[in-house]
Amino acid sequence: MLDTESLNRLLARALRRGGDYADIFCERRRSYAFRLQEGAIHDGSTVVTQGVGIRVVIGESAGYAYSDDLSLDALLQAADAASLIARGTPSGERRSIDLTEMRAPALYDQLRTEHAPAAQYVALLERADVAARAYDTRIAAVNAHVTDELQDVWIATSDGRYAHDHRPMITLGVQAVASAKRERASGYVGDGGRTSIAYFAEHTPEELARDAARIAAINVDARPAPAGEMEMVVGAGGGGVLLHEAVGHGLESDFNRRGTSLYAGRVGERVASELVTIYDDGNLPEERGSITVDDEGVPGAHKVLVEKGVLRGYMQDTLNARLMGVESTGSGRRQSFRFMPQPRMCNTYMPNGDASVEEIIASTKRGIYAKSFSGGQVEISKGDFVFMIAEGYLIENGAITAPVKNATIVGNGPDAMTKVTAVANDSRLARRHYTCGKGGQHVPVGVGMPTVKISSITVGGTQE
Amino acid sequence: MTQDEALVLARAAVASAQRAGARDAEATLHVTRRFHAEARDRTISKLEQSTGRSLHLRIFDDGRRVAVTTSDLTAEGIDRVAREAVAQAAFIAQDRYAALPDACGRFAGELDLYDRALAERNDAEKVDDVLALERLIRAADPRIVNSSGSNYADTLSIVALANSLGFADAYTSTRASRSSSPVAEDGGVKRTAHYGTAARRLRELEPNDVVAALAARRTVEMFGARKPATMRVPVIFERDVAAAVLSDLFSAISASNVAVGNSFLADRIGERIGSEQLTIVDDGTLAGRLGSSPFDGEGVPTRRTSVFEAGVLRTFLYDSYYARKLGAQTTGNSTGGGIGANNFYLEAGPHALEELIASTARGVLVLDTIGFATEHATGTYSRGARGFMIEDGALAYPIDEFTVAGHFGEMLAAVDAVGNDLRFDGSIVSPSFRVAEMTISGN
Repeated sequence: MLDTESLNRLLARALRRGGDYADIFCERRRSYAFRLQEGAIHDGSTVVTQGVGIRVVIGESAGYAYSDDLSLDALLQAADAASLIARGTPSGERRSIDLTEMRAPALYDQLRTEHAPAAQYVALLERADVAARAYDTRIAAVNAHVTDELQDVWIATSDGRYAHDHRPMITLGVQAVASAKRERASGYVGDGGRTSIAYFAEHTPEELARDAARIAAINVDARPAPAGEMEMVVGAGGGGVLLHEAVGHGLESDFNRRGTSLYAGRVGERVASELVTIYDDGNLPEERGSITVDDEGVPGAHKVLVEKGVLRGYMQDTLNARLMGVESTGSGRRQSFRFMPQPRMCNTYMPNGDASVEEIIASTKRGIYAKSFSGGQVEISKGDFVFMIAEGYLIENGAITAPVKNATIVGNGPDAMTKVTAVANDSRLARRHYTCGKGGQHVPVGVGMPTVKISSITVGGTQE
Repeated sequence: MTQDEALVLARAAVASAQRAGARDAEATLHVTRRFHAEARDRTISKLEQSTGRSLHLRIFDDGRRVAVTTSDLTAEGIDRVAREAVAQAAFIAQDRYAALPDACGRFAGELDLYDRALAERNDAEKVDDVLALERLIRAADPRIVNSSGSNYADTLSIVALANSLGFADAYTSTRASRSSSPVAEDGGVKRTAHYGTAARRLRELEPNDVVAALAARRTVEMFGARKPATMRVPVIFERDVAAAVLSDLFSAISASNVAVGNSFLADRIGERIGSEQLTIVDDGTLAGRLGSSPFDGEGVPTRRTSVFEAGVLRTFLYDSYYARKLGAQTTGNSTGGGIGANNFYLEAGPHALEELIASTARGVLVLDTIGFATEHATGTYSRGARGFMIEDGALAYPIDEFTVAGHFGEMLAAVDAVGNDLRFDGSIVSPSFRVAEMTISGN
């Protein structure tokens, strides 16, 4: 987006009051979307996000400014604003920086530069609508959306890194609402990833829509969730939200460098049952959380967070890595040019264990089977978390029985991780639709997990 | 960019859309100058300052609508997205309700949204301000040994809206906020909490000592927390948590959710839903408040709307599209594509929070909740929570790792006391209130 000469000039300007490091993040993103409501294409939208963010780092401090005006004057002003974090007297000295391009193997289509013809997106939504309504006569409403986005980022840093990434992202989401008597319930399913509309030839909109309708229909019949402590079996795939919240956030390096996470200073210690291994991987083809390079120009990587219950390492961006004396793990991510990068998760998952799903269910006397979650949240200092179950069932005497609705579960991350008593051999990644929020910034992520048993958790329903 | 320049650009965007072939168009330009400083210990850890611009362009072509948001404000950039929007519109179903509002205008009264002292405050003073806040929280209690940062932020915002009906108007507003997240440690256990506040005017912003005292108290008061037993008891929602409950309720009274069957309150206008203590208002015309503006996101004058009157549901909140669709009048709640709150609040009652606690023999005071669930369709409420056990009308001990759950309708009907501690530090606000009985799930 900017030539080498301009990047060089901006880096020099940003550092003219001093500073350990500066970087420039240029972004151009176009997203193209349609929404379906009440059986018809309700509206369309386009979002163009274009601008440049400039950061200056000095010690633990960072100055940041961005500009959506791409003229050199406006960008120099932004560089000046970012430089204010350093207190030095502006010098006229020009540092010259040799920018070397980082190259990493592409993890997704780097060539697609246009969205597909509009009619193809509209057809996906219409097919989803028909399929959801046909699934069950009680489906009273279907809302669906498709968003196709192409993001280009260019990063230049004062330590000489230059990188470009071209990131596609398509998402198809279907919400079905079931209604019976005065009861209403909804089911939501989404999929896609860093791919193109061709993905939905195999992962059809009908399949997604029927799954959303199935969850809505199950929940409209479901009984209110129980209240109190019981065993929990977390379903494969979507259950991975549990790892993301209960452990993942606590292992992001900003919280650990600052000592605000309960996992700070505990690398090498046992933090979970020995059955627990957790990876975060930025390199899985086409997953939402994958990045050829991160938003600081560092290639995405496979990280071992927890291995057989022992904490192995944190997810690092460049600022925290430098202060902790380690290398970035390619975890510096940001929502857009309007934000500074933060250490973030990419695709967080647990590999296979050796139990079977059948024996896990059969060993559960009274519990809840959380097949998937609609979301979760964690408090990182003490590790208390909450999850909302999207599809859940009671387990009674070793068998899955009635569906339950609207269950929230609460617990404590390290406590729950020591209570993992079985891990099945059915690990898989969840459908691709998760987005993670942190410090006001949203980034796409992936999660995955095998079926896992936790010996005790608090279920927040209303029934005794 | 000045307010007048912003209006010129908004008008130009409308003209561009019409040249591209759109029958009607509306352009809103947001120009926001933002300053943010975060302090940790004795240093400024983050200093951010930028002026961002964003154009929101909506086109209407015979009931077909497309929205574009762009930060590329060059003439070519705007022309390009306008042409693409017109092309995209051909794929949208015709909807006879989709059009510009029937009447645009501006609330006639003085709203006092701009504070010159805030707009002109110098950076050095802001930096000293946030360093002082961080010093105060670290001095507040010996157990506070760390923090996730103290923050000061302010914005100067211009909103300029023009449409093809000939409406063109703009306003400028200011906003300042401060917040702090101390981390305390005791016996190897870390605890954190957060307190934040905001105002349109600098002199109305809660001062650093108040913010520090509240943030510190919220952090250390939870030491020794236990997990409560599972039980059904009265539950008091402290005002910030009460505001979060109101925010969930807002989804259920938004016409956009009502219209598509996503609200448990659909078809219940005129019914008594809440207790007599429950009067809930949306008002965009309160002078100096954070949710006030002279017109909404589509140029409709803001107004005062009683949503619940003594527990009776009087109306939903509409923009012009959903008003036409549901046979009502717009309430001036458009965000320019969706429905949002102006100042949405529960009217204060007569009781101090201490009185609510003193009149509760055995119950739970909820100070913070985590989690979210978009169950405004079903009306189910369930959150992770922390707070205090109340015994014999007094706070007995802190509790955490529990959930508080119930049905929204039953909760509103069971509100039996409302506090007098309403503060307008956001656009959805509430005083503390008590619900006669809810399910606490713990051990």
